[in-house]
Amino acid sequence: MRLRDIWHDFDWTLFCAILVLSAISLIEIYSATKNSQFEHYAALKQLVWICIGIGLLFIVAALDYHIISEQIPLLYMAGIGVLVYTLALGRTVSGSRSWIVIGPMRLQPSELVKVIVIVAVARYLSELRNVRYLNLEQMIKAGLICGIPVALVAMQPDLGTTITFLPILGIGLLVRGIKPLTFVIMLVCFVLALPISWPFLGQHQRDRITNFVNPEQDLKGSGYQVNQSKIAIGSGGALGKGIFKGSQNQLEFLPTRHTDFILAVVGEEMGFAGVGLTLGLLGFILFRAINTAQTARDELGLFIVMGVFGIYFFHTLENVGMVIGFMPMTGIPLPFMSYGGSSIIAVFMAMGLVIGVRRRRYVN
Amino acid sequence: MQHRDGLELLRSRVSIISYAVVIVLGVLVFGFWQLQVVQKSHYADLADKNRIKEIRLVAARGKIYDRNHKILADNRPSYNIVYVRENSPHSVEQTVAALTTGLGMSAEELTQKIDRKKKDPSYQPITLKEDAGTGDVAYVMAHAYELPEVSVEFQPRRLYREGQVAAHALGYIGEVTEAQLQESSDLKPRDLVGIAGLELVYDSVLRGVDGSRHVVVNNSGREIETLPDEVKPISGHDIYTTLDLDLQKAAEDAIGDRVGSAVVLDPRSGEVLVLASKPSFDPNHFASGISPFEYRLLMDDPNHPFENRAIRSAQPPGSIFKVIEAAAGLESQTVTALDHVYCKGSETFNGRSFGCWKPAGHGNVGMYEAIVNSCDVYFYNLGKTLGIDKISQFALMTGLGRKTGVDLPGETTGLIPSEGWSQRVKRVKWALIDTINLSIGQGKINVTPIQAAWAVGGLASGGRLKQPRLVQPQELRRSGFESPDVGYQTYTVSEDTVETVAKAMWGVVNDGGTATSARVNGFDVAGKTGTAQVVNKSIYKKGSENEDHAWFVGFAPYRNPEIVVSVLLEHGGHGGEVSAPVAHAVLDMYYQKKTGHFNEGTAQKVASLMSQP
Repeated sequence: MRLRDIWHDFDWTLFCAILVLSAISLIEIYSATKNSQFEHYAALKQLVWICIGIGLLFIVAALDYHIISEQIPLLYMAGIGVLVYTLALGRTVSGSRSWIVIGPMRLQPSELVKVIVIVAVARYLSELRNVRYLNLEQMIKAGLICGIPVALVAMQPDLGTTITFLPILGIGLLVRGIKPLTFVIMLVCFVLALPISWPFLGQHQRDRITNFVNPEQDLKGSGYQVNQSKIAIGSGGALGKGIFKGSQNQLEFLPTRHTDFILAVVGEEMGFAGVGLTLGLLGFILFRAINTAQTARDELGLFIVMGVFGIYFFHTLENVGMVIGFMPMTGIPLPFMSYGGSSIIAVFMAMGLVIGVRRRRYVN
Repeated sequence: MQHRDGLELLRSRVSIISYAVVIVLGVLVFGFWQLQVVQKSHYADLADKNRIKEIRLVAARGKIYDRNHKILADNRPSYNIVYVRENSPHSVEQTVAALTTGLGMSAEELTQKIDRKKKDPSYQPITLKEDAGTGDVAYVMAHAYELPEVSVEFQPRRLYREGQVAAHALGYIGEVTEAQLQESSDLKPRDLVGIAGLELVYDSVLRGVDGSRHVVVNNSGREIETLPDEVKPISGHDIYTTLDLDLQKAAEDAIGDRVGSAVVLDPRSGEVLVLASKPSFDPNHFASGISPFEYRLLMDDPNHPFENRAIRSAQPPGSIFKVIEAAAGLESQTVTALDHVYCKGSETFNGRSFGCWKPAGHGNVGMYEAIVNSCDVYFYNLGKTLGIDKISQFALMTGLGRKTGVDLPGETTGLIPSEGWSQRVKRVKWALIDTINLSIGQGKINVTPIQAAWAVGGLASGGRLKQPRLVQPQELRRSGFESPDVGYQTYTVSEDTVETVAKAMWGVVNDGGTATSARVNGFDVAGKTGTAQVVNKSIYKKGSENEDHAWFVGFAPYRNPEIVVSVLLEHGGHGGEVSAPVAHAVLDMYYQKKTGHFNEGTAQKVASLMSQP
């Protein structure tokens, strides 16, 4: 493999979409944090993470995904090891032992392990050739591949990140094929899961769910954040109040504005136009992933890309839905947009996988 | 080719998923469209409510002065501690818990104040502490960051400089009620409005227009900037009343701790110089939020300190009614001043004996002697001759039993009976003995002190009745308010009648009559005492509730009077003994001021010397 091959058939369109999203993200992270004494350098740090992310994107895209797949047992064991290490010796931030510190960097290993799990699940599913519908044993095996790291993340405990793993498995099973009856049973189980798990949920999680069902009940307490987010977005109007001019953002009415609610800042300062552009670019990336999956040369490539798609489709659905009150509140970041090194690195590496699969789509 | 087919199957499933993406993105974009385009103005309002805080700039109320520009109702700066529930980062319980020590108030007290306003919109500030001390203000300022929902509000507050003096005339103010808010569109919640007295009657003149200032605040309540749309408050108009503070104080001091009232009018203009009612209350208590306990205490006081007795206490006039009756007799030419009656100490009508106050009798008395000595027998006979119709017609004409129209709320009508009234209301036929009783001002007849002053002053002025006013129309017009002219009624009464009655009343004070204690050297004071029986004399006990009401009505000078005084001490005893000295204090002060002998500095010096041990 020659180095200049990297540029051959590189998906520059997708890459440009990512860069534009990153630019919007940097502007609004700066806007959301410029008055804050604690997060003053957030935009600069994010820029560094994006640069690292771009570097990793190129490396992952350059590697043949088959080579990555071959190394997956090793990578998977390493991922489990890091998660165990995190559980044992990680740093606790807002109740979750989910961080490790390496030199100047603070990382959430669970974000990076997602990428490994994508490839691991894809490898397992792609090896089940010519199977029209999965049988129970196969489903359990696939579930375990995904389930072991999920269990470790759930123990941190980090419910939001735990949930984001599930679409890898969900999309994988749907594409690999499950019998319609099995699908219905799984759906029923999922619906029943909520009332059964209710007594095991913490008060904080229950509040979020009741509040989603009835957002007006407690606008000062648990409903405060979503309410302020809706005010920010709604008051932004069609064209926004102007960058650095959003009152909800600048006067700090909006909570966690540079992370989970970054889209509310976009909505307030750039209006429906800015949100439209952001959602358009995210939609383009998702469709590019679907297109890449459909043109992948083999099943491994297809499952890898669909795994990436599953995770980030879910991220987008949940985060965007949350800021306008369509989804319950969770701490799930918006891909490319929310501040945070681990999620940026994970999404850039995942994009590296997509671009890598696309480069090799032609069958000789 | 199995492999290729398998891949095709997977691809077809991927295509199905792409529809899900279209649907999800469509729903999300629709959500943003709803918020940002359809409901934009609603959310823009909410965002403004978040960031813009209105600070109310309370307008100062107009001041109230006496006729010599001495201040009666002033304003002083004060601060309220207010609480706004909207956007509060704390629950009510948390806020209350944080404030109890700082404001020195119990949690129950604070919660009660908040609960009382629970139904108000949450942006409406709730006053937690009125007229807060510097310690409270400092505490709230120091905790502005932790408790952005609590703030200090500046408010000019009423200060009644003289405390209890003229409290019934001035009235007091309080927070606007729900009913008032619905009635008037220019009132806003939490406005202070007049509740009684002049504060109520001239509320629209005195009340200013509040201003406002808008500031941009951040989530912690910190003020970021002030918007340039400040509206300055417009102070209310000052009012110069006709009251004379010196005379008012003289009257109130003379009444002292007794229950009663005094009214002083200028019969030429209707100006009210004194309007005193005792016991009184301190309207300053209302200015800084009277506690429910204090209020109950005042309300439950058996002497009813809130009652404005000068215009509301209607009592039988007793012998002061003889003056009116005498004039009625002369005007109807039923008697002449020279007609004499023999008083042997009592007289029998319809087989029932009516005694004179002097059991030994007055002997042969004409009108002059009858008034000077207040001979009951003379007036029994005059009343019998006149008859109820002529008496009541004349009495009503002079102003008794009618509202004077004074510019204060709650004036009572009193009662001048007639045959028709007796038939209609009491359902009994008017009897001769009723007329006999009425002819000495007893029985079914009630007049208020202001009516007594108005009627006697009007009669002494030759039948000219000027509506009593504490604020003259020209004073209101000066402030740009419309005001009708002072009410003015006249009735025909001959100069001879006026002269005869006035001369006799002069005799009461200056010719060994019943009110020599009202005499002022150099000032021709005329007057008439009255002692109105409360109940049957058999259970008479001095100092008890059953003691007689003591009246005095007087004017000076006795020709073309410029001042008329009426005093009523309830259950006070004999008019000549107790009420005439009160009138004397007022008339003496008036005369000293008029002749330039009254010097405030000297008066104060004397007072301070006397207060020293």
